[in-house]
This record gives sequence, structure tokens and C-alpha cells, in this order.
Amino acid sequence: MLRADGLSLRFGGLQVLDDLSLTVGEGRIVGLIGPNGAGKTSCFNCLTGIYQPQAGRVSFDGRDVSRLPTHRRAAAGMARTWQNLGVIDSLTVTENVMLAQHQRTGYSAVAGLLGLGGTWLRERELRRDAAEIIDYFGLGEVAGVRASELPYGVRKTCDMAMALASDPKMLLLDEPASGLSPEEAHDLAGTLRELRDRLRLTILMIEHHVPLVAEVCDYVYVLNFGRLLTEGRPAEIQRHPEVIAAYLGGAAATAEGGEDGTA
Amino acid sequence: MGAFVALGLFQGAVYGLLAVGIVMVYKAKRAFNFAQGEFGGIAAFCAYLLIVALGLPYWVGAVGGLAAAVAMGLLVERAIVRPLESSSRTILLVALVGVALFAIAVTVLLAEPVPRVLPPLVEGGGVDILGAGIQPQQLILLAVLAVLAGALAWFFRTDLGLAVLASSQDTLAARVVGISPEAVSRLVWGMAALVGGVAGLLYAPVGIFTPGFMTATMLVPAFAAAVLGGMTSVPGAFIGGISIGIVQNAGIYLLGQQWQVPGASQLSVFALLMLVLLIRPQGLLGKEA
Amino acid sequence: MSATTLVLTRVRVRTHLGLVVRVALILAALALVALPLVFGGDVWAQRVSRAAIYAVIGLSINTLTGHAGQISLGHQAFVGIGAFSSAFMASRLGAPFGFGLAGAALAGTVTALIVGMVALRVKGLYLALVTLAFGLTAETTIFNWREFTGGGAGAFAPRSALVESDLAYALLCLAVLVVVLYTDWRLVSTKAGRALTAVRNDERIASTLGVDVTGYKLGAFCFSGLVAGLAGGLFAHWNQVVQALDFEFQVALLWVLMAVVGGLRSRLGIVIASSFFALLPLVLPNFLAGLPWQPPFLNEAVYHVLPPFLVVLMLLVVLRFFPGGIGQLLAPVTRFVKGAKR
Repeated sequence: MLRADGLSLRFGGLQVLDDLSLTVGEGRIVGLIGPNGAGKTSCFNCLTGIYQPQAGRVSFDGRDVSRLPTHRRAAAGMARTWQNLGVIDSLTVTENVMLAQHQRTGYSAVAGLLGLGGTWLRERELRRDAAEIIDYFGLGEVAGVRASELPYGVRKTCDMAMALASDPKMLLLDEPASGLSPEEAHDLAGTLRELRDRLRLTILMIEHHVPLVAEVCDYVYVLNFGRLLTEGRPAEIQRHPEVIAAYLGGAAATAEGGEDGTA
Repeated sequence: MGAFVALGLFQGAVYGLLAVGIVMVYKAKRAFNFAQGEFGGIAAFCAYLLIVALGLPYWVGAVGGLAAAVAMGLLVERAIVRPLESSSRTILLVALVGVALFAIAVTVLLAEPVPRVLPPLVEGGGVDILGAGIQPQQLILLAVLAVLAGALAWFFRTDLGLAVLASSQDTLAARVVGISPEAVSRLVWGMAALVGGVAGLLYAPVGIFTPGFMTATMLVPAFAAAVLGGMTSVPGAFIGGISIGIVQNAGIYLLGQQWQVPGASQLSVFALLMLVLLIRPQGLLGKEA
Repeated sequence: MSATTLVLTRVRVRTHLGLVVRVALILAALALVALPLVFGGDVWAQRVSRAAIYAVIGLSINTLTGHAGQISLGHQAFVGIGAFSSAFMASRLGAPFGFGLAGAALAGTVTALIVGMVALRVKGLYLALVTLAFGLTAETTIFNWREFTGGGAGAFAPRSALVESDLAYALLCLAVLVVVLYTDWRLVSTKAGRALTAVRNDERIASTLGVDVTGYKLGAFCFSGLVAGLAGGLFAHWNQVVQALDFEFQVALLWVLMAVVGGLRSRLGIVIASSFFALLPLVLPNFLAGLPWQPPFLNEAVYHVLPPFLVVLMLLVVLRFFPGGIGQLLAPVTRFVKGAKR
């Protein structure tokens, strides 16, 4: 489904990603882990086209998307969530979800501007679809509330609802479990599996929460200093001595700020 | 052509002077001070009032004018900048545009919008430089600019200057080190206003002046100078000002006189500004991309 | 059982009453506009035209600054180019009135598109600076280009026979305003509005949601320029003479403040603020002359600067106390008129 070959990204003298390759098969749930500053979010930014890597290719759904701008990759079926949330504060939950439906509105912006007949009908349909998604995520009560007035957890759910509303083939989730309680994280695992099984979504996620990774991921890539440290099934990874060393040693070494927090 | 270059050099000195004030505010507050020109406007009008209308000695007028500019700077800081601390920078920019318009409106209200002449600091005939008649006033301007730019560049290396910079990066850190951000803010605006006032006082006698003259003709070239210098560099603003002055006058000569293009002076400044922003947005001496 | 029916009827009665009040409010607002048109004669017809033109300009700024979050301090250039284009087509080429207006809209669109392409590279405060410099350059260069604008004397912009009278012209301006209001309403209610909100807030998020950020930014510039150019065309034929003096850079600054005072993204607020500033310079002299006590330093110049003076005072009040502008003040009323739902 998604393939990255030899991604290399530099900011000035800083090598953020170094010859990184990974593959996510259709219908798989794949984890991307690593200490802070390892380049996980930068990797997402390269995959979605927000950063243009100096070297490497990205192919998605059987075609090369390396040169496509972000919004075209989104249109091809890539949806992502953000570590510090991709909801628009000034919009309500419903409006946020409808915003995420952008590429499947089925009418042009100019037609909407002129208020042509079909657009009214489509708007009503989109609103109905949005309500369905909102209900699925249990956000019905806050559908009309501005995102800025909602607590973090609810906004996080809204972000997830938005990712789904775009009708994607693949989800890229940036720390979906951060800020969740263990119970909520467990529920999330259930949701992710359900999404995969019912909607046949492919999922790539950055996650620190080890139990969640162990529970849902079919395969895990471990990143350290922009390079692939190792890869394998979650059970193998957990026993891997270098991974343990990277997490324990890396936590102190990169504490003074990696690029991950900026996305 | 030589005359135009010489004229540009001296014209550029004023741009540089204003640009230094713009750079100070930007360095400390990350704000674009669109009211910078009017500090000079207010200074010129107050000096005119004291010297010509009231017949007081020149130095009284000059000090009075500068005092008025600084007072305006502090007022702007207290009444506009501080309350809008948490607003977006665009809102602050709109408010500062408002301040400029307000100052122009006040000068028109209090003094009719007729052209005025402020006597120069030093009387006497012009000097011939590269075929252009340069007034002594303009020589003084250039000297003042050089001295000021040097002094300010030095200032930003002193403890106080570094504190000003620190407060722009991180108010909390500055507070921990024992510097009140409010005091820094007052200092910056006061100094910017003083520099603007000096520019107005020295420039007004070069020609005639009307309400809003600094904003209408000087503000955009001064900003262009600041941008060319990298927006955060005091020496850069100095060099930028001179460069803009020369480019502008070369433009007037080439486009205006040779090809009869209307508005050649604005056009050449605009073209240079665009070139800088599109090709080298960090300017000549800027640190950030 | 009967209690429920009672409640139901009461609810229905209340909604009926609410509807009546709402319709009455809307009719009253329309009457307020119609009154001067019907009883005010040519003088008020001219004033209403001017107010409508200003409102169109305010909405044009609203599209760019309010919806797309792009600041423009050189809007008078778009309006001015529209005005001169229309005048040029009408007086030099003898083109029909409608073509002149279309040409004005086109000229505004193209100019805004060029500035918009710059805005793709130059952002935020720097864009404000560039647009200010552009406005100044347009004012001194394009508007003083004798072949196009007639130089200092200005260009004539005769009206066509159909809208010769001031009343007919006022109706035309109001009609344009209604169309622009309608498109603004549809804009915010459809995908373009949501996309622009996303672009305004975070371009990266917008792009991962499939929004073509570049396209929408340029589109916002084009639409804003189109509306501004159209307003310029209307302005040209309103005055029937266009001069470079009408489009000084201070005017653009005033318009931006006017839009902020009205409240960005509030149609009603912007229309009210724009009309106020359109009428102020026309009504103020008469008003002041009618006062029993004459302030000492009154002269022509004062009439010229009082509007900027007032707008700045209002701006400061707005920024400090209600950042949403007049629109925020009126929010309870508009919410009621629209019905209780948000």
C-alpha cells in the first residue's frame, strides 16, 4: 500500500532522516517507534509531502507520489492525524468533519460560491454523512460546539473522525494514544482493529505507548537518529537489546529537544 | 548620474535612520512599526511650533520636538502595544497603522495641511558633491546616522541590549534574570521614537513638509531598507537605507528622466523590495531565513 | 396528555411570534435603506450608492483578510485599477456600460492575481509591507499614466442611459451589493469557506485534508480583486470622473480599519461600518454646520481628516473591548433573526 525507499532529509547540517525505507502492506497495522527526536514525525511529513526529502521515493497505492503536493496525496487516499491535533479551533466539530470531506464534496468551489442548485443538495448530504461519522465516534453531543471549547481528549477523537471523514485508504496516526488513559488506549486498540477489518484501512502509526503497539501492530519499525534501527514483529522488538538501549540511553541524549515536537 | 547617486546617498541616510528604529522594534517585539514615520512627523511639527511659531531658540525646538516624539512612543507603547500583547501580530500591525493615521489626523486638525519650512540646523550654502548641491543639513544627517548606527550596534552588545533581545525571545527567562519586560518594552519604544524623531527633525528642513510627509514618502523606503538589511541588523539597516536611497535616485534618473515613467521613485523602491523578498528574504545581514 | 398539547401549542405560538418579529426586523432594516431612496431625492440616492460601493469594498477586503487571512494594505490599487479601466473603456473606447464594469472586474482580478502570486512567497507582516508598497506604486505609476488615466485631470466615466438617474444608479449599486453578499454567504456555507478557514489557521493541516492551499489562496485573491474591481467600476461611474487622488494609500489603510471595526467575517457588521464611513464625510459638514455652537478650528481640512480620526478611535475601542467588531455587538440580534439554532 505504502512504500518508502531511501528517504533522506536534511535541515541545514542536521541529518533528520538517513536512507530510511519502510513498507506498509494493505490491511496491515504498522507501528513506527523510536525515542524522541528520532525523526518519526519528520518521516510522516515526508510521506504526506509536507517536507520534500533530498533523496528517496514514496509510492502509494501502486503509484509513485514522490513529486505530488500534499493535497494530491490526500486526494489519493492518505489521511493523517497530528501529534498536537489537526482540528481547526474556530470551527465546530461538524464543520471540522465537513472540512475533512473537502475532496469528496463533488462540486467545485466556484459552483458553491455561486450557490448553484446541486451544491445545496450535496451540502445536505455531506452534513448527513458527517453526522453519521460523528455519531460513530460518540461526538453527537458536542457536534455544534467549537473545537476550541472542547477538552483535549474530545478534540483528539474529533481529529480521528476527520481523518476518517476524508474516506481514506490509509491512516497515518501520530501518537493516537498520547494523553489517553490505559482504558481509553485499550478502547482505541479495538477501534483501530475495527477500522481495519470493517473499512479495510491500512494504518501506520507513531506510538510511544508500548502496550498499544504490542496489542494491535502486525509489524513495527524502530527509528533512532533518523535511521532504521530494526524492524520486526512487536514481540521480537520488545526483546531486542538495541531497542531497549536506544530507549533508555536515547531518552537522556535527546531530552534537550528534538524536531518531533514541532509538527 | 553622479548627482543622483550623491542625492541618493543623503536621502538614504534618512531611510537608514528610520529603518534603525523599525529594526529595533522588530528585534525586541517582532512587530512591524508602521507608525515609525510619524514619530519624525510629530517631532518636526513640534519643533516648527516652538521655533517658527513661538520664536524660541533652535535648541529648545529641537529638544521639544524630540521630547514630543519620545512621549508619543511611550504613549503608543502604553495605550496600544501593551494591551494588544496577546493579540496576533496582524492585529497589532493594523493598530499601528491606525496610530500613523491618527497622528496624521491630529497634525492636520491642529495645524492646517499647508506646506511648511523648518529652518535647517546649520545655515549656509550647499556643497557640490558629484555635481549635486548638498545642503550642510544633509551632511549632518549622514554623520548622525553613522554615529547612531554605531552606537546602537554597540548597545545590542551591552548587558541591557542583550536583555532587550532576551525579552523578545522569552519573557519568562528575562523576568527570571531580573529584567522587567515592561521596562524593556518602554525602553525600546522610547528609543525607536527618539531615533524617528531625530530623522524627522533632520529631514524636515531639507525641503518643505506637510502633515503625514514622513509616512507618505519615507515609510516604505525605510521598511525596504530594514528588509534589505535583514530586519534584525542595525548596521544592515544603515547599509540598506543608503542602498535604497541610491537605487531610488538611480531609478528616478533612468526611468523618470530618460523614459518619462511616472512614479519612478516609488516604482524602483518597490522593485528592489520585491527582488529582496523573492530572492534573498533574509536580507543582506539577516540571520534567520 | 392535555398538558403536552398545551406545551406544544405554546411552543408553536412562540415560534410564530418569533417569526413575525424576525420578519418585522428584516423589513425594518430594508425600510431603513429604502427610506432615503424614496424620500431623499438625488442627494440621498447618491449617498446610498456610495454606501453600497463602500460595503462592496469592505466585503472584498473581508474575503481576503477575513476568510483567507491575507492582509492587504494596498486594496485601493485594485479598486482604482477597476475604476480607471471602466472609465477608459467607457470614455476612450466607447464600450457599453456593462462591458466597462466587466472590464473593471477583470482588471481587478488580474491585478490581485499578480499580488496573490507574490503572497505565495511573501507572508504575514511582509505581505502587509509589500501590498502597501504596491498600493503606493500603483497610485504614483499606473494612476498617473496619462494615456490610461488622463493624468491629473482624471478620466470621464459617463453612465449609460439606463442608469443615468441617481436613483437608478443607487438601485444598481444595491443590486451588486446583494449579489456580493449572497456569494459571501454561499462561500462560508460551502467547501470553499471551510477550506479557507483551514488555510487561515494552518496551511499544513489544510493540505493534509486535501485542500489545495496555493489554489485557494490565489482564488481568494482573484475573487477579492474581482469584487474590488467591480466596486471601482461602480465608483467611477458614480462620480463620473476618476482621479488618482481618489485612490491615495491612506484610503486603503482606512478601508482595512473599516473592515476590522465592522468585524471580519461579519457581513452585517462590515456593511454597517462601511456605510458609516462612506456617509461620514458627506453628512458630517452639514451636521457640524447645523450645530448651535461651532468648534473653533473647523475648516475643510477637518472634514477631510475627521473620518480617519474617528475610525482610529473606533478601532482602538474595538480591539480593546470587542475584537469581533460591530458584528460581535450585533451577534445576539443576528442569532435571533436567523432562528435559535447556531
